[in-house]
Amino acid sequence: MIIQIDHLVKRFGNNEVLKDVSLSVNKGEVISIIGSSGSGKSTLLRCINLLESYQSGTIKFEEKDILSSISGINSYRAQVGMIFQSFNLFAHLTVLENCVIGQMKVLKKSRIEAEKLAYLTLEKVGLVQFANTSVMTLSGGQKQRVAIARTLCMEPKVLLFDEPTSALDPEMVGEVLHVIKSLALEHRTMIIVTHEMSFAKEVSDRVLFMDKGIILEEGNPDQLFNHPKEERTKEFLSRFRTQ
Amino acid sequence: MITLLTKIPSDLWGASAYIFSKYAPLFFFGARNTIIIALSGTIIGLIIGLGIGILRALPIYDYDSKFKHTLVKTIRFLTSIYVEVFRGTPMMVQAVFIYNIFLPVFKNAKLLAGVVIVSINTGAYMAEIIRAGIQSLDKGQNEAARSIGMNNFQTMLFIILPQAIKNAFPAIGNEFIVNIKDTSVLNVIGVTELFFQSTTVAGIIYRFSDTFFVTALIYLCLTYSITLVLKFIEHKMNLGGFDGPHSQTTPLIKGHYVAKEKTL
Repeated sequence: MIIQIDHLVKRFGNNEVLKDVSLSVNKGEVISIIGSSGSGKSTLLRCINLLESYQSGTIKFEEKDILSSISGINSYRAQVGMIFQSFNLFAHLTVLENCVIGQMKVLKKSRIEAEKLAYLTLEKVGLVQFANTSVMTLSGGQKQRVAIARTLCMEPKVLLFDEPTSALDPEMVGEVLHVIKSLALEHRTMIIVTHEMSFAKEVSDRVLFMDKGIILEEGNPDQLFNHPKEERTKEFLSRFRTQ
Repeated sequence: MITLLTKIPSDLWGASAYIFSKYAPLFFFGARNTIIIALSGTIIGLIIGLGIGILRALPIYDYDSKFKHTLVKTIRFLTSIYVEVFRGTPMMVQAVFIYNIFLPVFKNAKLLAGVVIVSINTGAYMAEIIRAGIQSLDKGQNEAARSIGMNNFQTMLFIILPQAIKNAFPAIGNEFIVNIKDTSVLNVIGVTELFFQSTTVAGIIYRFSDTFFVTALIYLCLTYSITLVLKFIEHKMNLGGFDGPHSQTTPLIKGHYVAKEKTL
């Protein structure tokens, strides 16, 4: 077990976004989280990466509470990579530098070592020929693939995807999902928040349906998509089928 | 003396040309000091502003210790006093006040006094410029840097500041131009900058409008050439970036299509 979340509660003011969420993630497991907007999916992901603090409950990474040492937070974050909906590439750097800077500053690698891995990773996401261009000149799909490469360069143990295709043109969704799928095939541990139902069905080992701050239902893709038990899940899925 | 005064042409242009040719060394000496004070004051002010601006923009997170919360809040309070006091009072008042407090030091080092006063004053403005530059950035930049494990210091130094300074560059340059003009208030403590020199010249020949017409032209030459230099630097800085619309479709860069993407 690589991540263990127990009774997590997160409030923004009086608004309880996460109500008692518990979840354990096994090594090599691909988990998709689906649910309507405002159900707490993204907040859960951001809590795991400590971009949000939480009011109660614990998150353990490799059996250790992630809050146990404050100085360890940064090294913990480096091991849990996050891919954002809005890419958040470092706008002043080239594609290559985006992939290199974390390795050099956080992992203290030499430039040669860092660039070597960066080139390999960019090759993997099919963007090696853009290594020296400014990230501002890329298309949305390309940007998200660079963002994935940047995260992969840190060699994280877990990958968190926060709606990676929601900000993209429909045409660009495929190329990004293709990359994520190839990562799933490598048996990386991944948690993916997504609205791409068919994608979730295809790559996930386990699918969670979140509603109003709790994990309402979970199961393997076949159970959850084809034989949902909860009324709310059925309602949510039917809306996607009719679209 | 009488003969000298009668030699001065009566029209504005003629008189100005005469005054300039006769007293050029005095004007140049003043202009030199104005540039020295404005340039070093702007640079030192920028350094102060960077420090204060970063301190004022320091983030605190819920998981940080109580001590850090208190520390950051105290820093924010103290720096805001500095910024408010020096932005909220005239530089002329600051000049007289600071000069007289440190009179033993500054009495024989008026140029130094000028630099110190302009630096402290500019620092307060720069702090706000830098803070605005930092806060104008998308918070995703900060989150992305933290998510790959950078600490606050690394995030600030490698991710936030390079972008913030670039965005704030026009405002920083503007401070330099403002300082060229505002050093004129230092005549109140007797710094021999351009305005002070002009008063001297005007006093000798007793021709105020003609003399200060020359002064105005010299100030204009200074500020306009600085504007040109700043524009050039800004242009150079923007060459690396892309300033077209940020569409999701692959755009043209300077007339060339970007390399064709390899299919997956």
